[in-house]
Amino acid sequence: MKYKAKPLPPVELPDLRVVGKPLRRVDALGKAVGSTVYAGDFSMPNMLHGKVFRSSQPSARIKRLDVSKARELPGVICVLTAKDLPDAKLVTDMPGQTGQKRRAGTDAPVLASEVIRYRGEPIALVAAETLDIAEQALERIEIEYDTLPGVYDPLEAMKPGAPVVYEPDNIVATWKIRKGDVQAGMAMADMIIENTFSVPFVDHAYLEPEAGMAWMDDQNVIHIRVCTQVVEHFRSIARALGVPQNKIHIQGTFLGGGFGGKEDITVEIFLALLAKYTHRPVRLAYSREESIMAHSKRHPFIITHHTGVKRNGRITAAEIEMISDAGAYPYLSPYVLLYATVTACGPYRVEHLKVDSTSVATNNPFTSAFRGFGAAQACVAYEQQMDEIAKALDMDPLDVRRANYLSTGDRNATGQQMKSAVWLEETATRALETLGEKTSECGPIKVGQGFASYMQSYGRITWFHDTSRAWVGLELDGTAVIRCGVPDLGGGQVNTLCQIASEVLGVPLENFIIYSTDSALTPLAGTTTATRQLYMSGSAVHQAASEIRRVLLEYAQLHFEQDIENLELADGKVYVKSDPENFLPLAELTKMCAAEGLPLSNLALFKAPFTDPIDPETGQGDIFPDFTFGAHAVEVAVDTETGEITLLKSVGCHDVGRAINPIAVEGQIQGGSTQGLGYALMEEVQVVEGVIQTPSLSEYLIPTSRDLPTTKAIILESGTGLGPFGAKGIGEPSLTPAAPAVANALTNALGVRIKDLPLTPEKVLAAIEEAKNA
Amino acid sequence: MPEFDLLMPQTLPEALEMLGDRAPDLTPLAGGTNVIVYMREDRHRYKMLMDLTRLNELHGVRREDGHLVLGSATTIAELLTDPLIAEHGALLRQAAAVFASPLVRNRATVGGNLVDASPAADTAPPLLVMNAEVELASQKGVRRVPMDEFMVGVNETLRQPEELLVSIRWPLPATRSAGGFSKIGLRKGAVCSVVSAAVMVEKDEDGLCQSARIALGAVATRPIRAYAAEEILVGQPLKPQIIDLAGQLSAETVKPIDDIRGSADYRRRMVEVLVRRLLSRAAQEIVPRE
Ligand SMILES: Cc1cc2nc3c(=O)[nH]c(=O)nc-3n(C[C@H](O)[C@H](O)[C@H](O)COP(=O)(O)OP(=O)(O)OC[C@H]3O[C@@H](n4cnc5c(N)ncnc54)[C@H](O)[C@@H]3O)c2cc1C
Repeated sequence: MKYKAKPLPPVELPDLRVVGKPLRRVDALGKAVGSTVYAGDFSMPNMLHGKVFRSSQPSARIKRLDVSKARELPGVICVLTAKDLPDAKLVTDMPGQTGQKRRAGTDAPVLASEVIRYRGEPIALVAAETLDIAEQALERIEIEYDTLPGVYDPLEAMKPGAPVVYEPDNIVATWKIRKGDVQAGMAMADMIIENTFSVPFVDHAYLEPEAGMAWMDDQNVIHIRVCTQVVEHFRSIARALGVPQNKIHIQGTFLGGGFGGKEDITVEIFLALLAKYTHRPVRLAYSREESIMAHSKRHPFIITHHTGVKRNGRITAAEIEMISDAGAYPYLSPYVLLYATVTACGPYRVEHLKVDSTSVATNNPFTSAFRGFGAAQACVAYEQQMDEIAKALDMDPLDVRRANYLSTGDRNATGQQMKSAVWLEETATRALETLGEKTSECGPIKVGQGFASYMQSYGRITWFHDTSRAWVGLELDGTAVIRCGVPDLGGGQVNTLCQIASEVLGVPLENFIIYSTDSALTPLAGTTTATRQLYMSGSAVHQAASEIRRVLLEYAQLHFEQDIENLELADGKVYVKSDPENFLPLAELTKMCAAEGLPLSNLALFKAPFTDPIDPETGQGDIFPDFTFGAHAVEVAVDTETGEITLLKSVGCHDVGRAINPIAVEGQIQGGSTQGLGYALMEEVQVVEGVIQTPSLSEYLIPTSRDLPTTKAIILESGTGLGPFGAKGIGEPSLTPAAPAVANALTNALGVRIKDLPLTPEKVLAAIEEAKNA
Repeated sequence: MPEFDLLMPQTLPEALEMLGDRAPDLTPLAGGTNVIVYMREDRHRYKMLMDLTRLNELHGVRREDGHLVLGSATTIAELLTDPLIAEHGALLRQAAAVFASPLVRNRATVGGNLVDASPAADTAPPLLVMNAEVELASQKGVRRVPMDEFMVGVNETLRQPEELLVSIRWPLPATRSAGGFSKIGLRKGAVCSVVSAAVMVEKDEDGLCQSARIALGAVATRPIRAYAAEEILVGQPLKPQIIDLAGQLSAETVKPIDDIRGSADYRRRMVEVLVRRLLSRAAQEIVPRE
């Protein structure tokens, strides 16, 4: 066999009882039997139904808006337009932190007042006694537009004279990295390799479209049940509504997937407004079509690499340009661009590096967070570029990477030192070894293998000064409660917290109840984004549970007259290690501690490392708490007559630091890679002149079970992560390398490269033809 | 979704009476996998729907006078398990295997597929090459229409508003015949055909092509036969050269469009590839008589 797994450095992981075990998740049963309650499942007596009136134009001025006929319709309780909420904006930037060029005027209005910047932009809200009446009310809203010239291509939008989405120009954000001396580095090169890659708009396509309900109570607090990745949006909702922050209460639910699409505010702001104006409970749920129209998309990027290389494969310098389409409003574009910029050259040692990146406003659907958050787009480019370098040098793709892979102690593009394990070769060689021999080719069917390595941060940008909180408490019968504001997107976030606390306290997993994702009743844990919850909230829970453990053991020490080191908490008891028959059930121990007035609960605050922002001129400085490293490898069969690609094998290998629950980790690797493979093969929100051509899931295609083999997940544990028990993060990383692996495998099969995702049959045929003619 | 009235007849005569009285305001509802989708999209507003699922007369598969007769309410899922279909309708079974997803297949019916008359309807090419006929009934009586005449355009058929499609029938395939169905989509499951094709060939005792039928989906306003290509095969040995030619002629027959699923050019080229592949496979499958 061509590739052999590189031996792992010695690792000593502590022996744990609960953590690291493939236990049944605390949320599994509800999902299996259908008893889990999602945001769309709620109703209340006296409830109204909300609807959103949206723009049919991508670029226009509202000439006339008349909602009087809708208001007159019997059963319509309220119709709101921008006039009713002067100046209400959706603020997504933390001032001065994300690199957004101009704050004023560029945040999306809650409802458009004069100018329409994208098709589907909300213009009015309706609440009515029935859904049917609400829908009829939409039809009675009269609107006339003066269409304005729009701009639908980021390259066009950067040209002088292009229509301006908002003044003074279309530049939403820029970042740069200046490291070493690129000219000198290029001069040292034996060869300079240049390529431009591009990626399309992508939809999150979660199972659960946005939904929720809101009502007002006797203290005038507005309660909102909603599926969101960010309960902290209650603050911007309060600002938009002009009410104090303590009068908005978000009760999050389990999510049927988020992937970044529920990171920005969705229905909750509309619900809050309608509840405030009607003083009645209101429900609002998007259809799939409205969901696709209303929420953000993954940024299309155009990425150009110029790489200087030595004949031995060593990179001497890299110059990289990135352009992303921000769509009609900035949302998180500046920050997505930053992630892309920082990982532009991949997990490689590049001493001389220059990166220039720009995010550009257009009248396309707005773009924002999507699992991988810019770093995934960057990986599509840098990993294809690595294979192109290998080809130009006639080297093995693994050897080229080996010559450049970062190691522990090296510095990344921003000069941050890599402190945890950097198992790039370890993961790549395992993925490749597991892929095995190439399947034999037959007639017009060609077979190729390819892989990609990556680095992806976990935890937020360190100058955001990120924190999380969690509360852990024991009951007198030995059961336990966790309160932690983390939204569970389906990734197993709440289970992980329970498993961590179970390990620390010796309370069996089934004896935990967790309250989560509630802005008033659970301590705020921050967003479920940026692959941060295991690291941040897992650490907060670990901290809180450890404090209770200390109290229990100190009391037990007196009770058993034993050293603390000789005591253990496990399986619902405290016992003497050298004499396990000598034990007390936790129920007894907690009662005794309670009788002594000892604290059996703890609220912990966990802080990520805090740093100053990177230098705006050079992009140098520490930027993330840490990174996850890994690789994905695939084998594809290509029908050279039809252009169809069949994935034959798929392997993801990642160093997750420590797998708290290996089944959940495997689930992340399989789910994430599925999204990445779909990105490569078929997913594209097609947009023509600002109009989405793939408005539902019959046009917007995602992989089905027939399209993919089961991804084999290889979980490595270096134990060096910053999270609890040495865990890193796997939520986003699992996706990042999958798409470029497919692109590389396709090139391996055909000898030609398609530099623009997705790799559709027609593009494949065109590439084959072009190669024939060349 | 707008409100509508639903009639639920228990027998075919009852259903035909309701339809006779109320057509065109009354629309038949079989699996609903087109009707409900159109209703939700607001593409059609139906005043009244008539549920067909209780009409025993529309169910079942049977042999009759050298023909196979398929009730129009047979679901796509049933095509995959029915032993008579396995024996005498292999092509239809192949189409069923790549039709939509298991959930949709459990509801979707063959009758609904034909009456909806999408150019991409996956049961159409197999039925076309099997020389099928559809049987339509109204209070006035029963008539049979050949498959090749039944569909006339995008979502248009010869069915009159007061008629129900009762069954589909085709002659049992001859012993020295073979065929196949194949479709290209943008993914491998739950997908609309970008191009589909079916062929059926019969050899004579000398191994020459006695008859050939080729049908193509999603390349014109309705599923069509490629007569010119069929003709050149008759009387010839089914060798690569003539098969290639049949593929090319098929591609010349079609009038595809550009849409988000594929370009007209791609569709035309795929017709050639699919027809060639299906013909070669079928030619090899026909075992010479001992
Ligand atoms: C997710 C999805 C995937 C799909 N994939 C495919 C696919 O791969 N291939 C494909 O070909 N189609 C596909 N379709 C389309 C659809 O499933 C088929 O056309 C199906 O066969 C329709 O049958 P039905 O019983 O559901 O029809 P219905 O929706 O009930 O009816 C369709 C039409 O036929 C009429 N009708 C039904 N039965 C009769 C009758 N006995 N007499 C007179 N009129 C009648 C109805 O009035 C209506 O006009 C898909 C649809 C969906 C939603």
